[in-house]
Amino acid sequence: MPATGILLHGFGARYDLPASLALYLFAAGGVVVISFVLVVLFVGDQVGAKAIQYPRRAVPFLLPLARSRWPRLVGGTIGLLGLAAIIITGLFGAPDATRNPAEYLTWIYFWAATVILSGLVGNLWYLINPWAAIYDAFARFFISPPRGEVGPREQRAGRVGALTLSRVGIWPAVVAFFLFACLELTTGMANRPWLVGSLALLYSAVTLAGMYFFGRNEWLDHCEAFTVLFGIVGRFSPVEAERDDQGRITAVYLRPWGVGLLQPGPSGWDRVVFVILMLSTLAFDGIEGTRAWSDFTIATEPYWQPSGAFGFFLLKTLSMTLLTGAFLLIFIAFMEMVIYFGNRKLDLKATVSAFALTLVPIALVYNAAHNYSYVMVQSQGLIPLLNDPLAKGWHLLPALAGYKPSFALAQASTVWFAQIVLIVVGHVIAVYLSHLKAGEKFRTAQRVLLSQYPMLLLMVMYTMTSLWILAQPITAGG
Amino acid sequence: MSRYRIPIVIVVLVVFVVVGGILIFANQNAGGQNVTINVTVTGGAKMVPDTLKAHHNDTVTINVTSDTDGEVHLHGYDIHFDTKAGQVVTQTFKAANTGDFPIEWESTSTPLGHLVVS
Repeated sequence: MPATGILLHGFGARYDLPASLALYLFAAGGVVVISFVLVVLFVGDQVGAKAIQYPRRAVPFLLPLARSRWPRLVGGTIGLLGLAAIIITGLFGAPDATRNPAEYLTWIYFWAATVILSGLVGNLWYLINPWAAIYDAFARFFISPPRGEVGPREQRAGRVGALTLSRVGIWPAVVAFFLFACLELTTGMANRPWLVGSLALLYSAVTLAGMYFFGRNEWLDHCEAFTVLFGIVGRFSPVEAERDDQGRITAVYLRPWGVGLLQPGPSGWDRVVFVILMLSTLAFDGIEGTRAWSDFTIATEPYWQPSGAFGFFLLKTLSMTLLTGAFLLIFIAFMEMVIYFGNRKLDLKATVSAFALTLVPIALVYNAAHNYSYVMVQSQGLIPLLNDPLAKGWHLLPALAGYKPSFALAQASTVWFAQIVLIVVGHVIAVYLSHLKAGEKFRTAQRVLLSQYPMLLLMVMYTMTSLWILAQPITAGG
Repeated sequence: MSRYRIPIVIVVLVVFVVVGGILIFANQNAGGQNVTINVTVTGGAKMVPDTLKAHHNDTVTINVTSDTDGEVHLHGYDIHFDTKAGQVVTQTFKAANTGDFPIEWESTSTPLGHLVVS
């Protein structure tokens, strides 16, 4: 096997201890018992549109802040500084990933922490998206709309010739997200700072050009993978903004976590595949670190070894693709069962799209559980690098040079406790949302209940898989 | 029934969390012992034994013997063993952090094994 070092996730080692068998059995048993309790409690629930109505509380004091330019100005500045730091330190900093800020900023602060925080508090990407910030700043002063276009640039429909982006749905974002997952998980090159910096620069150029030629929001909504991703994650969050026809915020609400995923949205296989990719790439990230994966790569060595590192990349990419395909087929099969037990003729595409979002809580909490110690401990590795971010022998902040990461919130027992609680709470939210969605789709409470047995089984299976991965010993070179 | 279901779900979750917490925090290993581990590194590529074990708060002494000059790095604890061929290099530290910590041959980032502190 090629020397892949200690690369896990996109970069860096993980220090997690696998959860014990007793803890795994306890959590797995808890998932089954709680699922059963939920099913019993849900008997005789409401059906129709009322089923997906959820409580929310207006927070008028947040409205002036939401309407002001400051949050986007501050957020955009942070995003822009982060992007600039990734490009500059990636291209001109230390070649060793552990000593280069670009790796920490990309894989821990952006990719792990921002996703978790966006689920917890709201769509942070909306505020910190650096390409939107650059575009808006330039549009304000320098860019005039192409001929025939009128109105605010944000609202212009994007088109080049006869091509309209709405025709391709979010398939470009699906492709971009898959390529990003390949960079992180299958290329084995995510720990090369120069590559991370170069790709950040390339993606910035493509995104800005796309926004210019196709229209800002058209490009972001259809092609920019992170905007689509954070849009989905943000629906889980407790903050909800209501807008008028002009796109202005008219009210801000607080709501329970997860219920935003019940809101009606566009349907389509592109959106289903995007959500499935969120689940499958996360699962693959976990599987890559297990002994079972290590054994599999050794068993298949005769096939990929002749091509060396490229063969290993192909093996991993093919495995991740097959896992995504398997997730998709299993999900569709279970949705067919949901519709069958619901005893109502429904459009498969629309139903699958609606129920796919109910899996998002399981993916988000697994993401948080999986990355818990990574975010808590390894993120601190950036602090001493601030003294000399380009590894040029500088002493900008000498007081930070000797900083050692604290494990205060990442002792094994704390990590396990956080992981188990997160996974079970996410499972409960998912089961609850799925039941409400079924209430909306099917006509009688009995049918709603019947339709939910397959979905419940699927969610228990997915949660069990998440727990199983957390209980596996982490292997090097995953 | 419907008015009680949210409180029931919350009670079930609280019971689960409390029992889980007891299961996890009551079964922590009692450390505080002195543990000495002797390891041999060959060619900067192989370490015997490759899995070193200790308990939380043990005082751990690791003696590294290598047939090659170089550096063995214990990640997480960030401890370096500057090896000289045929000589024993010793580091003693308190296992204050639990986890699974990789050990590498630093110059080539070759994984040698790991220290498990439980």
